[in-house]
Amino acid sequence: MKIVNATGLACPHPVVLAKQAIEANEQVQVIVDNETALENVKRMGVKLGCDVDSQAKAGGIYEIMLTRKTGAAVPAVPVSCVASSPSAGPFVVVCSEDKMGRGNDELGAVLIRAFLHTLAEQAEKPDVMIFYNTGVKLTVQGSETLDDLKTLAAAGVEILVCGTCLNYFEVKDKLGAGVVSNMYDIVETLSRAGRLLSP
Amino acid sequence: MNGSPSHYVMLFKAVSYALKAESILKAGVLPHKLIPVPRQISSDCGICLRFEPQHRASIEALLSGKVAVEDIRPLIC
Repeated sequence: MKIVNATGLACPHPVVLAKQAIEANEQVQVIVDNETALENVKRMGVKLGCDVDSQAKAGGIYEIMLTRKTGAAVPAVPVSCVASSPSAGPFVVVCSEDKMGRGNDELGAVLIRAFLHTLAEQAEKPDVMIFYNTGVKLTVQGSETLDDLKTLAAAGVEILVCGTCLNYFEVKDKLGAGVVSNMYDIVETLSRAGRLLSP
Repeated sequence: MNGSPSHYVMLFKAVSYALKAESILKAGVLPHKLIPVPRQISSDCGICLRFEPQHRASIEALLSGKVAVEDIRPLIC
C-alpha cells in the first residue's frame, strides 16, 4: 500500500497526488487535513471506480483509503476541484476587456454588448461585477453598454471599476455606472468569489 | 398579442449588415439598441436592432436603399 501525505496542501494538489498514486498502486492511503480535499479526493476515487473509505482522525486529519477493484483498469478522469461549499462566496463577473473573446475586435465589441444586455435580463444576476484594464471603458459615459450596467446596478449588482485603469485612460471624470474601486477591493472580491465568470 | 408592442426588432442576414445599419442610425441620431436576437425569433445572424414603434418609419426611411433588412418583427415581452 502506498501512503500519500497531502497534509498542508491546497486543492488540487491532494487530488493530483492521489490520482498519480492510485494509477501506479492497487491501494493508496491519502492523508489530508481539510474537508475540501477530503471530499475532492473521495469524489475522484469514486470516479476512478475505486472502493473508497475514509476516517476522521484527531486534529482535523482525514485518512482516505482508495482500493482499486480487482483487475479493473483506471479510467481517465480529469482532476476536478470543487470547493466544499461553492455557493458560499458571491457570484462575480469580471470584465477585463471592453470586448468579448479574442480574435476580432469589431466582433468582440458587438459580443460584449450582447453579453451585458443579456446579463441584465437574467433573473439571476451577479452579486458583483468588476471592470479593469480596457473593461473600464464599458462603464463610462458614451459607452454603448452603460444603460445595461445602470440596469444591473439598479437591480442591486455591486459594480467595482478599477480606479487606476480609469486614471490611465483619463476617463475618471466620465464614470457613468458603478464606483471607483481599488486593487484591495478587487483582490478581496475575486478571492472570496463562489463563482467567477469572465466573458 | 393585445395592444401594440413596446419595441420592434430589425433582423439582418449578417452581422456586418446590422453594424452598418447601426452606424447609419447613430449618425442620424435615431434611438435604437443593438441586442442579441430574441430566443423566440430565429435568424442566421445573432444580433438585431431594437427600437421603439414611434421611430419605425424614420428608421426604415433612413436605411432604405443602404442596408438590406431581412425582417422587422414586433417584440412581445
